[in-house]
Amino acid sequence: MNALRMALDSITEKKGRSFLTMLGIIIGVTAVLVLVAMVTGYNSDMTAYYEKLGVNKVTVKLTWYDSSRSTDLTTPLYEYGNGELAQMVDGVTPDLSTQLPIQYGGKTVDDTVVYLGSDQYSICSNYILESGRDILPQDIENRSMVCVLGSYAADDLFPYTDPIGKTVTIGGFPFLVVGTYYQKDGGVEDSMDHMAVVPYTVNRTLLRSDRVDSVTVKVNSSKNVEGVISRLELWLADRIDSSVGEYSLADGNSAMAESNDEMTSLSVVLGGIASIALLVGGIGIMNIMLVTVTERTREIGIKKSIGAPRREIVGQFLMEAGILSSLGGLVGIVLGFGLSLVLGKAMYGLIVLPGVGISLGAFAFSLAIGVIFGIYPAVKASSLQPVDALRAD
Amino acid sequence: MSLIELKNVYKIYNEGQENQVNALDGVSLTIDRGEFVAVIGASGSGKSTMMNILGCLDIPSRGAYLLDGQPVGEKSQKELSELRSRRISFIFQGYNLIPSLRVWENVALPMTYQHIPLQERRERALEALRAVEIAAKAENKPGQLSGGQQQRVAIARAMATRSPILMADEPTGALDSQTGRQVLELMRELNAQGTTVILITHDNSIAAQADRTVRVMDGHIVHDSLRDGILVPAEARSEVRAS
Repeated sequence: MNALRMALDSITEKKGRSFLTMLGIIIGVTAVLVLVAMVTGYNSDMTAYYEKLGVNKVTVKLTWYDSSRSTDLTTPLYEYGNGELAQMVDGVTPDLSTQLPIQYGGKTVDDTVVYLGSDQYSICSNYILESGRDILPQDIENRSMVCVLGSYAADDLFPYTDPIGKTVTIGGFPFLVVGTYYQKDGGVEDSMDHMAVVPYTVNRTLLRSDRVDSVTVKVNSSKNVEGVISRLELWLADRIDSSVGEYSLADGNSAMAESNDEMTSLSVVLGGIASIALLVGGIGIMNIMLVTVTERTREIGIKKSIGAPRREIVGQFLMEAGILSSLGGLVGIVLGFGLSLVLGKAMYGLIVLPGVGISLGAFAFSLAIGVIFGIYPAVKASSLQPVDALRAD
Repeated sequence: MSLIELKNVYKIYNEGQENQVNALDGVSLTIDRGEFVAVIGASGSGKSTMMNILGCLDIPSRGAYLLDGQPVGEKSQKELSELRSRRISFIFQGYNLIPSLRVWENVALPMTYQHIPLQERRERALEALRAVEIAAKAENKPGQLSGGQQQRVAIARAMATRSPILMADEPTGALDSQTGRQVLELMRELNAQGTTVILITHDNSIAAQADRTVRVMDGHIVHDSLRDGILVPAEARSEVRAS
C-alpha cells in the first residue's frame, strides 16, 4: 500500500512529465483500437453490402464449346429449383444484365443497369415491390415488353407522375412500366437503385441473343447452400455432355467469407503496426524511469540505510512504471472508443466500437510494457550500494 | 564476544592504480554492548568510511568485520538489508528524511521493513516523536521543519526501530550549539537505555561527551582512549601497520 501511494505521489508531483511519459502509450493504444475498429467497421459495411446484394446465392455458370449443340437449361433449372428443390430454394433467375439508357419524354437516364431476369429476380436480389406489379411468369412466356424500375430510375424519369402504365424506351425499344421497387440504398452512389428489370426472354430483342450462360439460384438459408450445390452438381452432370460444354458452381457466400478473412488478416497487420507505437511508448517509460532513478538515488540510499530490502526498491519503481503505463492504457482506451465512434460515423455511417477483447488486450499489453521496461531501471536502482546512493545529491 | 569487531580492515579505492587511496589502512577495533564511542578525525581521515563499513552500508576491501560474532563479509544482499533493518539505525548530518513522506511516516518507514503492522508502526512512531518532543509536527512534511526539528525526527526514527546499535555521522554538524546539545542529550538517554552508540565527528568538544574516543588519521586508528588512556599521546601507541 505504501509503495502504491509513493508511486502515485511521485506521478502526481510531476504531472506534466507523467503525462508526456504516458503519451506514447496513449497514442499506441488509441491507434491499435481505432485501426482495429475501423477494419471491423469496414467489414460490417461490406457484410451489409453483400446482404443487400443478396446472400446465400449459388451461381451456375455454363460454358458451351459448340454453341450449335448447346441446350437451353434456363427453364429446366427454373423448374428444378421450384420443383424438387423448392424446400431449399427461394428463387431462380438468369444472371444477365446490360447497361442501356432509358428514355421517357425528353428525359434520359444514362447507363442504367438493365437486368434480364425471371419472375423471381426480385426475390433473388432483395428488391421489394413498391407499386404496380412485378414481372410475372406469363411475361416471361409471352416475351412481354414490360419493365419494373428501380427507385433511382423511376424518380429520375418520373419526378412528378406515376410511372405505372407509361411507356419508356430502353435501348431503342418501347417497354411498358408495370411496377417500381423500393429504394435499396446500397453500393456506390445508390448504384443498386439505378436499374430496371425486364423479362429475360426479351434478350432476343434487346441483346440479339437467346443465350443464358449464368443462372442464379437463391437458397433460403446458409445451412442449405451446401446441399443445393451438391444436388445441382448431379443435376447438371446429367444434362451437360462433357464434350459439348462444362458448368461451374460458385457459392456467393464464399466471396463474403473471403473478404472477411482478408479483413481479419489486414486488422492483424494494422494492429501490429500500431503496437510498434506502444513499444516506443514503453521505451519512453523506461527512459523517464531511468531519469527518476537518478533523481531519487539519495532517497534510495536512505531507504537502503534504514533496512529496505531490494525487492522493496524494485517494487516501488515497477509500481510507478506500471501505473504510468496502465493509466496511459486507460486513457488510450477512452480516446480509442471516442475516436472510433466519430470516425465510424463519418466513414461508414455505422456505430463502430472497439471490441472488449481488443480493449482488454491493449490494456494488458500496455501494463506489461510498463512493467517490462520498468524492470531495468528498477533493478538498476535496487543494486546501488547504499553508501554510493547516499553520497548523491 | 564483542558486539562489533573490525580485524585488520582495509578500504581501498582505485586499487592498483596511480590514484590509489587507502581510506582505511588496516584498522582493528572492538566495541562492546552499551558503549558510547566517539570516532574522531579530520575530514578525509577515514572516519566516515569506517562508519559506512560498521553500518553495513559499504563492504571492506580486505579484512573481517564481525557483527555479533558473525562475519558481515559473507552475508548476502538480503541478509545485509535485514541487518540494517533490525540491528543498526542511523542519524546523518543531512538528516536523510524522505521529503514526500510525513514526519510520522518517516519515523515508521523502517518498521515497514520489519513487517510490523500499520497500527503498531503508527503508535511506536508517535511514541518516539513524543520522546523527542516533536509529536505536534507528526503530520507535517519534513521540509516544513527546522534543522534541529528534522534531526530530532531522525533520532525518533532511530529510536522507534529499537535497534541495538545507533550510528551517528556528524549529527550536530548542521545544528547550532544549543540544538546540538539537545541532540547529544537524546543520544545519551538512548545509551543509558542500553543502545550502543557510535558517534562520528570532527569536533573534539562533541567527542568529549562520549565515554570512549577513537581518533582516526589517514586511515589508521592513532588513539583509543579505552586502551591508551586519555593522557597518553595518540601517536605513541598508534596501531600503524604498513599497507
